[in-house]
Amino acid sequence: MKLRWNKTVAIASIGALAMTAIPLAAGTATSGAAAKPTYTIGVQGPFTGADSDYGDYDYAGVEFAVSQANASGKYPFILKTAKFDDQGSSTVAPGAAQKAVGTKGLVAIVGPAFSGASEVSYQYYHAANIAEVSPSATAVALATGSDSSFFRTVADDSVQGAADAKYLVTTKGEKSITVIGDESFYGAGLAKAVAADATKLGATVTTQSIANINEGGGGNAAAYSTLATSLAQADPASIFYGGYAPEFGLLLGDLASDGYTTNNHVIMSGDGSNDPSLITSTSPATAANGAYLSESATGKVSYFTGKLASEFTKLTHIKASVAIYAAQSYDGANAIIKALVADKATSSIPTLRKETVASLHKVSFVGITGPISFQADGNLKDDTGEVQVSEVENGTITLLTSVG
Amino acid sequence: MGFAHFWLSGFDQIRTGFWAYLAVGLENGSLYAMIAVGYTLVYGVLGLINFAHGEVFMCGGFAAVFLTHGILGETVATGWASVGLVLAGIVVAGSISALVATGVEQIAYRPLRRRNAPKLAYLISAIGASYFLQTIAGKEFGYGQNIFPAQVFPAGQTLFFIGKTPIHTIQVVCLVAGAIMFIAADRIVRSTRLGRGIRAVAQDSETSALMGVNIDRTITLTFIIGGSLAGAAGFLYSLQNGIVQNSGTELGIYAFTAAVLGGIGNLRGAALGGLLIGLFGSFSVPFAFEGNISWTEIYTFLILVLVLILRPTGILGEKSGRTA
Repeated sequence: MKLRWNKTVAIASIGALAMTAIPLAAGTATSGAAAKPTYTIGVQGPFTGADSDYGDYDYAGVEFAVSQANASGKYPFILKTAKFDDQGSSTVAPGAAQKAVGTKGLVAIVGPAFSGASEVSYQYYHAANIAEVSPSATAVALATGSDSSFFRTVADDSVQGAADAKYLVTTKGEKSITVIGDESFYGAGLAKAVAADATKLGATVTTQSIANINEGGGGNAAAYSTLATSLAQADPASIFYGGYAPEFGLLLGDLASDGYTTNNHVIMSGDGSNDPSLITSTSPATAANGAYLSESATGKVSYFTGKLASEFTKLTHIKASVAIYAAQSYDGANAIIKALVADKATSSIPTLRKETVASLHKVSFVGITGPISFQADGNLKDDTGEVQVSEVENGTITLLTSVG
Repeated sequence: MGFAHFWLSGFDQIRTGFWAYLAVGLENGSLYAMIAVGYTLVYGVLGLINFAHGEVFMCGGFAAVFLTHGILGETVATGWASVGLVLAGIVVAGSISALVATGVEQIAYRPLRRRNAPKLAYLISAIGASYFLQTIAGKEFGYGQNIFPAQVFPAGQTLFFIGKTPIHTIQVVCLVAGAIMFIAADRIVRSTRLGRGIRAVAQDSETSALMGVNIDRTITLTFIIGGSLAGAAGFLYSLQNGIVQNSGTELGIYAFTAAVLGGIGNLRGAALGGLLIGLFGSFSVPFAFEGNISWTEIYTFLILVLVLILRPTGILGEKSGRTA
């Protein structure tokens, strides 16, 4: 028994030594051959789970920007990308953020993709002076500080909420709206913004909330069928749901079976539900038809056009027309690259991280989504506030109009 | 909104929507009851809470997804085909879950039983089995990816109306299937040779072994009965709610609560507890403060606590030792 234990320890020690030796050797080889330092831009978002599309799209945007930068050869550094999977969940995110902070050569983060995950990750990145540029975290409360290391290349929920309320009340003429929040940082925030703005526009608003299931809310699917039953009883003219696709799909199916459908009511949700997975999360899938979905940003599917779109698809194997927030992610990565150029690129990683935060506050360029420069709190200076509204038509999310 | 007005409006909603709340409450309640049977039977014979039982239920749901998509693809079944598919779903999902349940027993519990391990070891082993199954399902089918089976009858189909309230096929199927399976389980435990074995082991396993009862076989059969009811519940649940790797956690907690409320170890108590929890859940929705549905859980567990204060052994009383 003792002998076997010793053997195990010996094998483990050799293994551990080998493991530490490999990265060391690789690191030396790379820096020696290229003669340029290698920096890593991390991407934090959901790469597994129901919302993994968002992470993949964000990563694709960064991958595209980095590949263009490396190919151009005009920068005094070589860039790498790394994924940090937070499953879009506030409970998983701290681990992902800490892993990123501990990653050698990591200079900045694109992400986190989700607001709840961003809220809990901020303290780790902020303490390590790592800049986060989120392409899609829209909760208002995220950008408040004056020396923020959090930036975003997307308008916040106050813009989306106001536009959603305007669409429901002014465009669709709805006077009675039940607004439901999913108790997530993002969903509850958006619901609150919609409720406040719709009330301002003169609609009668009833608010409800239900714990989400898949974003760590601990909700129960059975509760969605009882909520649907009570909503069908109350029969409000329209419903707005602040939350994500899996639960919105569940609710749409349950509502339809209780006779509350998009044929006789207006049902809308925000960008959290604006994903093709909404259709497969709805049973029957036809119950999703006619639902309205908003997206905070202009022409989300039309940023990558012509050669840019085909190059994007060639590199990432993702169709540019479905990659929500990939363009914001691309602009975010380019903002980081521009900041790195402004930094004294020879400095050590901890100094470089800090300099990148300061430089990001100063960057100013025209990205593919519009002018990119940040306010002190990390929000975009030029926040045009345009929001796109789509409708599900025969199982496909189809762009309708922009509100703003 | 004033306090009195809040309560009055709640009662008003219940008055107008009584049948709808009753139907959805009975639907969920039947499912809780079917799962609760497994908790209570295993508690009866082994004196332990099988925390992996929620995952046994989840496996039934995934079995249903594959079975129905395999047969139907994207088409929707109607008429007699629906009846056949519901029966096939119950049988197949029940069998798969029974298989998983016996697997859990053989791998996670039997070795501990052989070594006379303390009860705490069972608990940890159960949690381990639960995480194992959940992680496998998450890796295989996607974390948080809610998957629906094919439509064995049109989703949201209305079977008949009570007044103006539509009663859905799924609600009737859950209630009827739950009732039939529960009565069958109750008969098996009460009046068959096998049931006598289960009751004997529950009362005193050593003595019953001396009297010639095959303990291993009895315990395996207990897991098979509990597992097949949970699997059938998994199938029926997935028709309405879809299935995801963590479905068993939420439902398991409710079903376990139902078993305790009715009196753990007591088969009929599990059924009663399940139905009551389902009904509390639906009828408390109109009384959710500020429209926050989480209040229904607070009400439900408040009632559980009150019942346990008054009757610590649950409504029908713990009958560990008789399991019936």
